[in-house]
Amino acid sequence: MSLLILVAVLILALASITLEKTVPAMISFAMMMFLLGLYYLLLDEKLLGLLQIFVYTGGIVVLMLFGITVIGEEFPPAKARGWAIVAAVLVAAALTYLLLVVLSVPKVDTTAVTQQASYFSQHYADLVLIFALIGASLLYGSMKMLRFLRCKASDHV
Amino acid sequence: MFEIQLIFAVALFSIGLYGISSKSDFLRIFFALEMLLNAVILMLAVSAQHLNLAQNLSLAYMVIVLATLEAAAGVLIFMIAHKVSNKIEPDGFNVDRISR
Repeated sequence: MSLLILVAVLILALASITLEKTVPAMISFAMMMFLLGLYYLLLDEKLLGLLQIFVYTGGIVVLMLFGITVIGEEFPPAKARGWAIVAAVLVAAALTYLLLVVLSVPKVDTTAVTQQASYFSQHYADLVLIFALIGASLLYGSMKMLRFLRCKASDHV
Repeated sequence: MFEIQLIFAVALFSIGLYGISSKSDFLRIFFALEMLLNAVILMLAVSAQHLNLAQNLSLAYMVIVLATLEAAAGVLIFMIAHKVSNKIEPDGFNVDRISR
């Protein structure tokens, strides 16, 4: 039952991003949020499930509907971009690999600092690499943004 | 079961990532942002259930609060962007026109 709900959540998530019409996309988004809340209730996390249903299905969807009603414009159809699909699949594969590697690490009770360091380098080196890559790309992006803003400021002067 | 649930959360995260990087319009980017946050909440709730980490649940509540604030700010940005540039795609949004 819970797996069925999760499969339905994924299908509705895809539908809300790829559907061309705005209102069906909004309905599938609301259904997705409701099913996630239901899933939390099944997991016996009652407060989280109720919060999910009230906040997302009740509040955020109504807020979005309000925005769409105020703008009152037909939205353009969703564009399928190849590189976006490839990037999403790559990130999913990397995250799945990392999660499975981290979860399969046996738990040991090591107290010595040297043991802890070797344990960390053996099992979590991949995580450090990924975080270093993310940090480097963020640094690169912010430097590019700074340069762009400086160019804009000099254009105004 | 725990790994399968985590894989579902990762799949939801990657769908949200696809929605953000495909740059279709503000509404879909907004949906995708909510999906990213919901994938994190799902991961936290599942790990709280299986690993008995109660602090993960409090983190999940915090993420829900953050998502609510982000939704309110997002709708505002969405409406200002439409008013300034008459477009609902981020490609046509010009930041310079806000400061004038």
